[in-house]
Parts: sequence; C-alpha cells; structure tokens
Amino acid sequence: MSTDKRRIGIVPFGEVPEIALKVIAGHISACFHLPSQILPSLENPEYAVDRGRCQYDAGIILETLESMSFKDCEKVVGVLDLDLFIPIFTHTFGEAKIGGQFALVSLFRLAKNPDGSSPPSSLVYERAVKVALHELGHLFELLHCEDKRCLMHFSGSIEELDETPLYLCRYCSIYLQDELLR
Amino acid sequence: MDKKMSIMVVDDEEIVRKSLFHWFKKYGHVVETASSGFEALEKLVKYPFQLLFVDIKMPEMNGIELLEKVKTEYPDTMVVIITAYGSIESAVKAMRIGASDYLLKPFKPDHLSLVMERISVQKRLVSEYNYIKGRLEKITRFDNIIGQAPVMEAVFDLIPEVAQSDSSILLVGETGTGKELVAKAIHAESRRSHLPFIAINCGAIPESLLESELFGHQKGVFTGATRARKGFLEVVSGGTLFLDEVGEISSKMQVDLLRVLEERKITSIGSREPVEVDFRLISATRRDLKKEVAEGAFREDFFYRINVIMIEIPPLRKRKEDIPLLVEHFLKKYSQETTKKVDHITHDTIVLLKRYDWPGNVRELENAIERAVVLSKARTLRIEDFSFLRSSTIPISKPLSLRETEKNHIQQILEEYSWNVTQSAKILEINRVTLHKMIKRYNLKRPENSS
Repeated sequence: MSTDKRRIGIVPFGEVPEIALKVIAGHISACFHLPSQILPSLENPEYAVDRGRCQYDAGIILETLESMSFKDCEKVVGVLDLDLFIPIFTHTFGEAKIGGQFALVSLFRLAKNPDGSSPPSSLVYERAVKVALHELGHLFELLHCEDKRCLMHFSGSIEELDETPLYLCRYCSIYLQDELLR
Repeated sequence: MDKKMSIMVVDDEEIVRKSLFHWFKKYGHVVETASSGFEALEKLVKYPFQLLFVDIKMPEMNGIELLEKVKTEYPDTMVVIITAYGSIESAVKAMRIGASDYLLKPFKPDHLSLVMERISVQKRLVSEYNYIKGRLEKITRFDNIIGQAPVMEAVFDLIPEVAQSDSSILLVGETGTGKELVAKAIHAESRRSHLPFIAINCGAIPESLLESELFGHQKGVFTGATRARKGFLEVVSGGTLFLDEVGEISSKMQVDLLRVLEERKITSIGSREPVEVDFRLISATRRDLKKEVAEGAFREDFFYRINVIMIEIPPLRKRKEDIPLLVEHFLKKYSQETTKKVDHITHDTIVLLKRYDWPGNVRELENAIERAVVLSKARTLRIEDFSFLRSSTIPISKPLSLRETEKNHIQQILEEYSWNVTQSAKILEINRVTLHKMIKRYNLKRPENSS
C-alpha cells in the first residue's frame, strides 16, 4: 500500500479545541509522513462513563469505534477532553492496541502541571501531539521503547511526558518504515 | 540481557486480564492470561512463565494459595500480587511467602512501570546469581574436586584431555590429595562413563586375595572358594579399573597384570580358558615409583605400561589458597549432614588453618572440619575448635625427639578421649596396661576438671 493511501483520520469527541486537532494532524504529516484528515465530531461517549470513578473507559470507547466505519482512513485517532481510564489503572493519557485501527488521546490531564499550575496552551498541544503520535506508533506495531530519548518510551506522568521527545529513536524509525512499506 | 519476559495475568475479572494483556503486549512481552488459579497451574505445566500477576481475591483458589503453590513448584517464577486498597495485610503476607512485589489497584500507569523495572532488576540479579553459580560449579567441577589454585587448574585442564584416550594413567600424589576423585572424574568424562568404575586399594588387600579379587576363581580351587567368582578385571567389562596404591603390589602381581594389559585376556584361578577383557586402567601411588624402578624395587616394564600419562596431584600445602574454599565446602557439607547449624568460621581460624601443613592433605582438612562441627557448641567455628591441631600449627623451635613426639601424641589422644584409657588405648593400638605404663613414664597428668 502506498503511503498516500494510508490516511490517518482524526476524530474529535464532543468539544475539543480545533487547534489541538490541527496540530495533531500537522505533526502526523510532518513526523510520520502520512496524510491526515480531521473527521466530523462524534458525541461524547457517555456509554463509556464509569459513574463510580467519574471517568471514561478507554476500552469501551475503542470497542465502539471498532464497530464503526471510517472510509478512506487506515487508522483513526480519537481525541477527547475527558478523563480516560483503563480498568485497574487510575488514568491514561491515551490508549491503543498494538496493530489496531483505533487510538485515543485525552487532553484532560494534559492541561495541568504536576504542581497544579496551568501550562501555556502551546505546551498542552505539544503534550497532546506526543500522546497522539505515541499511540499511532502502537497502531503501526511499535512497542514501548527503552530509550528515554524516543517518542515510544512510556510516559506514566506529565513530567515524563514533557521529557519525551517528539521524534522516534533510530530503531523505532526503522521499525516504522518497515511497517509502512509492508 | 533480554528484557522481554513471559508473563501470565491471573485474574477472574476479564477486564483486568484484557487491560494487562494489552499493556504488556506494548512492551513486546509474551503474555498469557488465566481466569483462575487452577487454569494458571495448568498453563504453568506447559510453559514456564517467568512472571505472574496474580489477583489476591479470586474464588476457589485465592492469590495467596496460588502464590504458595507456584513458589513451591516453580521457585524461579516471580509473582506480583494485585490487591485492592485496604488489604495491605494480605499484601504483606504475600511478600512474606515470596511475592516479588505487589500493586494496589487501581494503580497509576507509572507504578506498574516501576514494578516492572524492579522485576527486571530482580531478573538480572537471578541471572547473575545463576552465572556465578555456574562459575562456582566450574570451580567445584569434576565430582567435588575443589580448587582454584593454578596447580589444580593444570589438573583440571588435563582431565578432559586424557579422558578421551584409552591410555593408562598414573596419578601421583600424597595420601588424601584426592587421587580417587580425579580417577572418577576421568572416568566420568570418558566414553566409558556409563560403564562400571571399580576401585581397588591394592595396599589394603593381602596379595593372595588381591589375585582372586582381580582375576576371579573357579569353585573349589582353594579353601573357602565354595563357588566360582568373576574377578574385577572381568566385572569391570568396558569400564575403568582404578588401582589405588599400585606401588604396594607384589612383583608377581605386576607380571600378571602386565600380561593382562598386553594381551587383554585373563585366566581366572583354576581355569584354563582365557577370557577377553576390556577396561581402562588408572593407577595411583603416593610413592616415587621412578626411584623404585631405578632401585629395582618396582618392575620397569610394568611401570611404563601403567604410566603412559602421569598426573601429579599437588599436596594441600602447595595450594593453600584453596583452603578457604575447601573449608566452606566441608562446613556446608557437615552442617547439613549433622543438622548442626555451624556455618561460619572466623577469619583468624582460616589463617590458622592456612598455617598448618596438612600432612594428611584434603582428607585431613575434611576430618578436622567434621570434628570441629560435631563438637562445636556455637554457630561459628573459632580457633579453640581446632585446638587439636594447635601443637603442630605453632611453629616448632627445634625438632622433637621420638620420645617427645610419643609423649605429645599420647597426651593428645588422652585429651581427645577425656582420659578414657580404654578408648585411648584402642586408638593407639596398645593395651591398657601399656598405656598406663606410658602415662606413668611420661608423667602425664589428667586435668583437674577432666572426668
């Protein structure tokens, strides 16, 4: 499959700042050299809310996306401004299955610094881009990388996310290329 | 080291299994799930998972029960317990049983990463331990021959080399240096290893009996030969024959054995029918046979037949650097055998043991440790526990006369046996009356507190 056909869809859930979507789309083209497209918004996934935790179950949202059809898009990244969780974890910034079609990015926890202060919006978008590209990497079979100077290194906290670069290490770049040429 | 692991997630909740399954997949681990302890045990039989994530609260078999079973049957498998907030007590219990770590759910993603990092460190330590253990096994290789000293390294290097050939080997070394262990090691390394290894101490068997032992006899050829008996040269059939103290055998026996080695046939006593034999001969001696050949005390042709390859086993005094290693080995051996928890030795004692010359070599050292372990009342062996060695350890200013040596020896034996004259006389192989006379002659005094 040629890369121009490997379009990446970006689908917002509910109200998400448009600029966040555009920044993500731009970076997908710039960093992964893949065409991207912002898709029409979907409603907030109330079906996935856990009342006890006041959070949204990322697994349930992904399952719902899997039942939907997104023409012309090989992979789709859902963007939400809601607090996501994976059962047994307290929260997650994003979620995707290895080799899957759908990924999720939550802006909810990105708009706050660890000390409680509010970061500039540019930093929030940079964090969102990192999470989106990281999850997209998983969709293209990339695993977590041990190298802290790689986008695929796991970030469990905002501090770690801020330390993670926007680029892939030499090995993950090769793995991505291999996958895209498949 | 490969950081990818084989992991099994054991939880009755599907959602937890799924979450962790996908999470670990993102790290490239081999992941499996099980919905119960029973299923986990079944899967462990088929595949040795390195790491288990086990929920503490499961029906039928809970996480603690599963942990206990896993730690008993698969001690190398690491287990991380997943528990809910408020059940710290169970988590502590799990850690006591052998869990590597625990997670309170729901946990932060970076907590799981931290646990995985710790597990990775543990895995590395285990690998390093196994590596070091392997190296230790190398040190104690060849059936308990212990040694790191260069002189022993040379012996270790020779063993596999000479084991491959069928040439006769002569092991030369003082008594107690481990000649039989080396012979066994050569046999174990050889193509004959699955066949018998028969050791005969030529010095301990009377010549007439030795002939019968080696060659066998027919029924009725001499008094007591109530039935025919095969000799060891025939019984060994294809294996290795070890003739210890070969220097002790008579000239006649040397002639007979020489013929066997040349013709590979034996004729048992009272028989006329030769039987073909096949064995590899390893001989050992503490005597200088070369010198005895020169003096005509040992047959030259037989000497060269048994001495195709000569290996010298060094005495312990020439490899004193091995003493700490040997002490450690024997300490472990005897504290296990006697179930006495004596597993330490002070540095000063090691120094003392290294000063001693060990005329009886490793065997003497082994006996000394055994004796000290049996008699010790503490967990750590101290200089006092080796007081029986002291007289010979302390540098002697002038050579002792025979009389003084005899006096010291009698005194030592009497002290060892708490002045029990009957027992001491038995050890000294003299009668009680003689011992009493000697006590009087040397003016030996029983200590006041001795019973």
